[in-house]
Amino acid sequence: MATGLLAILVPALPMISAAILLAFFRASRRPAARLSVAAMSVTLVLALTLLVHHILVGSAAQVEPLGSFGSLWIDPLSLVLWTFVSGISLIVHIYSVRYMVEEPGYARFFALLDLMTAVILVMVSAADLLTLVVAWFLVGVLLYFLLGHDHRRAAAGRYAFWTQITYRFGDLPLWFAALILIHTYHSVSLPVIFSRIQAAPHVQLWGMPVPELTGFLLATAAFARSAQFPLHIWLPYTMDGPTPVSALMHAGIVNAGGFLFNRFAPLFEHAGWALHWAFGVGLATAIIGSGLMLMQNDIKRSLGYSTMGQMGFMVMECGLGAFSLAVFHLIAHGFFKASLFLGAGDVIGDARVHDGVPPDPIYTSVIERRPAKPSRLPLLVAASLTVLVPVVVLSLAHFFVAEHLFFEQGVVVLLFFGWVTGAQALFAAHKMSRQDPWRLMLGILASFVVIVVGYTLISHYFGNFLYPNEKMSLALYNAASIHRLSFDALVLFLAAMFVGGWALTFFADSFELGRDLGGRGRSVYLGIYALLSRELYVADIYERLGQIVVHGSRRLNVWLGWC
Amino acid sequence: MGLMWCVLAAAFLPLFPLSWLFNRAVASLPVGAVQGGAALLLPQLGLALLHWAPAVQAWPRMEREGGMVVATVSALLYAVRALSARDLGIWTRLVLSSGLATIWLAWWAGTPISALRVMALGWSLPAGVALVLTGVLVRRAGGAYIGLQGGLVAVMPRMTTSLVIAVLALTATPVFSPFFALWKGLGSVPVAWLPFWLPLLFLWGWAAGRLFQDLLFGDYRGEPVTDIGRAGVVLIALVFVASVALSFAANGGLL
Repeated sequence: MATGLLAILVPALPMISAAILLAFFRASRRPAARLSVAAMSVTLVLALTLLVHHILVGSAAQVEPLGSFGSLWIDPLSLVLWTFVSGISLIVHIYSVRYMVEEPGYARFFALLDLMTAVILVMVSAADLLTLVVAWFLVGVLLYFLLGHDHRRAAAGRYAFWTQITYRFGDLPLWFAALILIHTYHSVSLPVIFSRIQAAPHVQLWGMPVPELTGFLLATAAFARSAQFPLHIWLPYTMDGPTPVSALMHAGIVNAGGFLFNRFAPLFEHAGWALHWAFGVGLATAIIGSGLMLMQNDIKRSLGYSTMGQMGFMVMECGLGAFSLAVFHLIAHGFFKASLFLGAGDVIGDARVHDGVPPDPIYTSVIERRPAKPSRLPLLVAASLTVLVPVVVLSLAHFFVAEHLFFEQGVVVLLFFGWVTGAQALFAAHKMSRQDPWRLMLGILASFVVIVVGYTLISHYFGNFLYPNEKMSLALYNAASIHRLSFDALVLFLAAMFVGGWALTFFADSFELGRDLGGRGRSVYLGIYALLSRELYVADIYERLGQIVVHGSRRLNVWLGWC
Repeated sequence: MGLMWCVLAAAFLPLFPLSWLFNRAVASLPVGAVQGGAALLLPQLGLALLHWAPAVQAWPRMEREGGMVVATVSALLYAVRALSARDLGIWTRLVLSSGLATIWLAWWAGTPISALRVMALGWSLPAGVALVLTGVLVRRAGGAYIGLQGGLVAVMPRMTTSLVIAVLALTATPVFSPFFALWKGLGSVPVAWLPFWLPLLFLWGWAAGRLFQDLLFGDYRGEPVTDIGRAGVVLIALVFVASVALSFAANGGLL
């Protein structure tokens, strides 16, 4: 009973705070900020209390303050995300107290932040489809007003509109999936629907199993929220909004896709093809997002594309069946990205003082009397360390922690990407110019081992907390598995691609390949450069399509006399 | 005979092509408040006429499906047309016509008239408020062509806030009653119809976004104007609170 009341208070407190701010504190800056921060602090304490209570004694429960609508599901996923969301929101609140102090609409800003937090808290704990759809929908609406907080900037409005329209597009598949599930399983309650799916997973609609069909729809809704290609274009362009909103968005709101996969995990156990699709889209997004990030010269837009790449990884993890790892990833990325956004101003300030341009090699050699050419490890040693060390460390860590999952395809692919990331880090370390390359390499190796062991242990125990039923984890990995031969071919192809890429980079760097491109090679190079610098023309295509529809609408109105 | 009642009702509870008459009639009324009143009353009149039509179950299946096709086309047509409307009055009438077409869908799916009355009221209330505010804007600024002045929020914050809430409600944003009306309407039709109706949400959101661009952002370029009073804002707030309460009460069965 007391737990239920506390659980209701978690989303209710920021909601009440927002209502008080809008009703009584519109003109008072300091009291408004104090009230908002205080409400958020209490919310975080309550969320933490409930999480600790659950770890010590609790089990999953439902709270229904308004009947089946507005019901909350107090399970490990909700409790972890409540703590994460209220923690990030509190950081953003505290940061905004001074950051926004000279902006008009100060109290309104805090009220909107409170409302947004409340709605996200409801969304991650919704126990029925209607509450989930309402909260999911409202996140998009509130984000529009937060991003467009500064009405004087037309650009802020334009990019807020892009976000709103993409979010609205993503709302449609969620509506569709929700209505299909209600029609098929005759309930709005998520636990009831999941138990009925387990009992009858092969119910068909339009010649397709309902879990598979709704799995595709839910994945599409998640793609729009988590900026998956080609629904990503809103994310890098939302930097015209206030920095605290960017931090909240990149650290919290954009993770909604990962949450949706986890909430509907019992459904995705029977939606293997939807998971394969998610893997493909996530992989493409990770590659495109990371690639475009490298081409940006604006720190905030670069962070935007970095988030896109990370979201690609998160969705890819879901596509592999590693649902709990996706939640761990979104939490780690959330705190990491919030700190980057909130510190972006300092980085820009530093760049104004120190330009960061590398010293001229002749100056380094003649004046500073240091070697102009970097001192590096022998090629064979560097290549062996780069390729072998990550394989050994990752494999051993996972083998000792979760032996029973070691040969699951999803785990193998995750280990593969862990190897790629680790090898990339070592390769980058090798390319750095340092006086003592052995010392640098050993330092990187030690850090790598600590990170891998820590990450493996934490993610393993975290996974056990989120999905205590081991059968469910295995079922998700099984659903994500593909035919053995195709899987082996895929891993070999990806391995060849990455190793080839490293070799190309290494030799291009060492022997200055590509410097003397001929006419045709140069035009191809420029074509690719133009394509990437225009961000694959995705925004241009959307804009043109939008113009065509609005033009058609105008012609219709003229024919029909605007009545 | 049944078809005749439906045709008559379609002129009041707008359905294309008779919706042209509804929109023409509302637009021709001289004052915003009267237009708002008409937006409230005419759909109820249409439902009263529909009450005389035979029960939906008595209609042949072909005719029922034909009726649903007309409702779908009408809703989508008006939603698309709202995309290019920049005059607040026209925009409101087009979105209202699109929204009220969903009442027809619910009727063809067998929803009782008493429930439809509440659903229609859910759409009409925000439209009525928006039309009243359009009248105020025309009186004070000389017109309601939103793109002309831009950034209205800078000079009329109370008016703009009220308009934004009305527009959000009219475009089926939770927790206003049109959202629940749509949820209930779509919940009552066969699943095969959903792919045709869900784009409405996207089109309404798009139309609202385009309207907000002109209403909220950029610099105001018009003559000095006075905002509406606090009493007006309180009255509008009460209307919306009542609308939300109504939707919660009326949709209790579904929720």
